[in-house]
Order: sequence, then structure tokens, then C-alpha cells
Amino acid sequence: MLHVGNEKVPVCSGVDRRSFLQAGAAGMAGLSLPAMSRLEAAGFVDTSKAKIKNCITLFLVGSPGHLDTWDMKPEAPDDIRGKFKPIHTNVPGIDICEHFPKMAKMMDKVALIRSLHHKTGASHENGQRWMMTGHDFTADNPKPFAGSVISRLYGPKSNLPASIILPVKIGNTGTSTPHGQKAAFAGTAHEPFFLGADPARSDFQVANLKAPAGQTEFRINARRNLLTELDELQRRTETKASKQRETAYSRAFNLLTSPETKRAFDLDDEPDKLRDRYGRNTLGQSCLMARRMIERGSRFVTVNHFDTVFNIACWDMHANGSSLNNTYLDYENILCPQFDLAFTALVEDLEQRGLLDETVIAVVSEFGRTPKLNARGGRDHYPSAWTNFICGGNIKGGQVVGSTDKIGAAPHDRPIQPPQLLASIYHGMGINLETTMMPGPGSRPIHLIEAEPIRELF
Amino acid sequence: MDQVFEGTPKAEIRLEGRKAIRGDVSNDWGSKLQWQISRDGKVIATVAARIESAYEHPEKTPGKYEIVLQLFKYINYKKDAKGEYTESKFIDISNKVGYTV
Repeated sequence: MLHVGNEKVPVCSGVDRRSFLQAGAAGMAGLSLPAMSRLEAAGFVDTSKAKIKNCITLFLVGSPGHLDTWDMKPEAPDDIRGKFKPIHTNVPGIDICEHFPKMAKMMDKVALIRSLHHKTGASHENGQRWMMTGHDFTADNPKPFAGSVISRLYGPKSNLPASIILPVKIGNTGTSTPHGQKAAFAGTAHEPFFLGADPARSDFQVANLKAPAGQTEFRINARRNLLTELDELQRRTETKASKQRETAYSRAFNLLTSPETKRAFDLDDEPDKLRDRYGRNTLGQSCLMARRMIERGSRFVTVNHFDTVFNIACWDMHANGSSLNNTYLDYENILCPQFDLAFTALVEDLEQRGLLDETVIAVVSEFGRTPKLNARGGRDHYPSAWTNFICGGNIKGGQVVGSTDKIGAAPHDRPIQPPQLLASIYHGMGINLETTMMPGPGSRPIHLIEAEPIRELF
Repeated sequence: MDQVFEGTPKAEIRLEGRKAIRGDVSNDWGSKLQWQISRDGKVIATVAARIESAYEHPEKTPGKYEIVLQLFKYINYKKDAKGEYTESKFIDISNKVGYTV
């Protein structure tokens, strides 16, 4: 039994009371360097073994059809195999869609996971919760976003937040249930920072870095000083919540007033040629921004490729003739080319800067799409099988983990569930998943995730 | 948040024999890039241009050939009853080069 306050709670093997309480206290405050050292000493994380220090997640909201992208079935009947053709990659035996020609040239760096599936529902939000937190849950029992977990465990490296989401938060994707991009019981100090604007636009300004109307830097600093004094008074009656708010305020002030931070968001610093290489579009410039954030100290950057699935060209290929009228035309002319350019630019750029070895890139989606084309030539939601992929860090590229059956309807071998992918990222970041715990609801210690890493990836 | 594409993408193309060679695309929107080949004013082929920077059209039917580089311009996702875009379309982003067979 472990005691947290006066409460007795069960604890899993390998964690003694003293080390958990030390770690918990450190986590509450947002980790300082000494706190990080205590965590390491307690065996919760081992940064010496952590090859992956950062993670960039490209979240393909809407979800590409696996049969049209990274798990093609050219031998299947017409109404299953779809319109596109596979091309060879630089790894013999691994073929992908013809509209990813640049990615095909770097398949040796990429590990495809072709047997992902989940069973809790076919809404976008079910999949978002799975992929962003490793759990499905209801609004009254929220689980923390992976970026918040990493923020909580490792803390910030610089003035930039440890966890950033670009370009904007996910909005309406069908139901009014959680998207899984909130800190939940990881604490308000570890909420991800949302950029809140499109970095591809010429009038781009970071919405969340703009001082409120009428607030000068002088007034902001005056407010900070006042809050510092109030914090001093409050320290005597400090609670967990007040401590977290203090950290959040400090972070907000640092963001608002630091020239270094503001410059981090300025893409005009980048050569035009590099901006073109990423693609002058929302995804491309967000990926470039993600690299800048990692380079300047963020640990976990998430790029939401689309904030909605309605009335835009996105991966949600229902071809319904109405507000969800995405078709093969959108895949061929916009989505696949933009992704191919942005993803490969990101990999190349990180590699050239020596950052790829310590940064994992995870490309995830909510689900796959129905193996059989619908009456209008589209595909609908399908959580029973899909493909995502991962590269960078110490991930073994040039491989396929798992497979689906002949029509891509179900995992054929090595079925993988979403938490295993997150567990793999955590594992790669040096976190001992058996012993590392964090205070859950009511400060009860819980494991970060109930899943094993995908061993083939390492 | 729908995407807004700004600026004007541009590229220079030139001929070496019958092979068209392109430079980098500036202000590249990142959408589909293609060669458009016309003969005697009529479009006879479009070929993906993103991965290779050169293209030689294999047809030798006599006529006056013209080649231009095009980029897809996304305005919105709207399509007609046949599933064709109503506003988004390919636009020329380069000079035109030509030869006669």
C-alpha cells in the first residue's frame, strides 16, 4: 500500500512510497532540474537511455483510407482496391500509394503499423481520444493528453511550453465529446499551448501571444510583480491547485514578454527555399513551425491536420455530395501531395540539423476507412483496421509491423491497439512504464498507460 | 479553418531537345504539380511533375507541341453533380516551351 496524504492506495510493483511522493511533488510544480534528477534517481525515467527526447505528432484528423494510402490491396476487387496504384519504395517488399513519391524514397526510415484497430465506436472523437491519450473515456472521466503527460514528467526545457499544439485546436468533428487534447488530471500547468493561428498566412500572428487590448508590456510586467507578491502571501496556505495556477501564470507571462519566445514563432526567419520545401500551406508551415519549437526546447509538438471535417478538403472521404464531400480528387490534388511534401521535408530538415535521432515523428489518425467503396465512391469510418506510422529516434525504420487480411478489413497478424503506440513513444523517451506513475484523479497514483510498447520498433 | 493560399507560385522551364526541365517552384503551395502537354493547341496529356524535374513526352505524332508546368489551386472543396471541382483547378505557373515534330 502507498499513502498519499491520509489515503491508502494500491500501488504497482517497483515504486516505493518515498520515491513516489518525491516524484509526485515534483510533478505538481512542473519539474525543475533537481526534481528531474530525483525522478531519475527514483528510476521513473532514465534519460541516459532515452534516445527519443522529443516527439512530433502529425494528427491526420478525418483519417485517410488505409487502402488508398499505406496498406494498398491491388489484388482486391475494384470496389475495394480503389482508384490509386501502389508504387515501390526504397525498401523491397513495401509498396505505398503512388501519390507519396517522396515518402517512398525514405521508407527505410519509417515503420508502418498496419494492424491498428480499436473497438469503442466509429466517431472521430473515439479515435481522437484513443490516439491522443491512449484511452477512450467520457467527459466526466477525462484522461490526459500525451503531451501533458510528457510535460508533467519532464517539464519545460526553455521558455517555450513543453507541449504545443499547432495550428489550432480541434473543433467540430461530429459529436460534442472530448478530443483528448487536454491535460485533465495531469494538471492545468500542463495544458498544451495552442498556437491558435495559421502559420501559412501572411498576416500570421500567434493568437495566444497577443497581449489583451490595452495591455502594454509595462502593464503586463506590473501585473506579474503584483502576482508575485500575492503568491508570496498565498504560499502559507498553498494548495495543489494554486501551485499549478502559479506555474501556468508564470508560463503565460514568459510567453508574452520574452523576445526569444516571440522570435521562435517567426517563420520569416526561415529561408524561402526551405519554406517552399515544406509547402506553403497550413500543414507544411505547421510542420516547419514544429521543427522550430523542438529546436528551441519544446518536447512534444502536435500538428492537427485540420480542425474540422465539414465543408473543407480533408481526409474524411465520405463523398456524400454535401458537407462531407471529399473524394479521390482531394486526395490526389491536395491532401496526398501536401502531406508527402511536408512530412518528408520535416524528416529531412530534422536529420540535417542532427535532431532526427532524438525526435520521433508519429503520424496518426482516428481510424481507417471502409474496405468497400460506398455508393458514391467514398469510404466511411472504419476503426477495425488502419495504418499509422512512426520514424526518427531509435525507431527501426524500413519495416511493417502487423498486417491486415486480403481486403484490409481486419488485422491478420500482430494486432496493435492505440495505447501500444503511445506506450512505444513513452518507452522511447526513457520512461519506465512499469514503475513510472503519476497522480491520477484524487491523487491516486496510476500508470501512464496500460499497454506494452511495440517491441519490434526498437 | 479552411486553407488560404497566398502569393503566386512560379517556376522556369526550358527545353533540351524535346526534354522539358524545370527549376524549383517558388511560393510552392505543395499541391499536385504536373506537366501539361498540348499538340496543335489541344491538351493530350498531363504527367505528375513533383518527383522528377525533367520530362520528355514519348509521342512522336507530327504536330506543334507545347509544354507548361501547372499547380493545383485549391479554392474550396465544392464539386458538381459529376464530382468535378467547380472552383478549384490547375493553373499555369511557368513559361511555355514548345517544339515541332
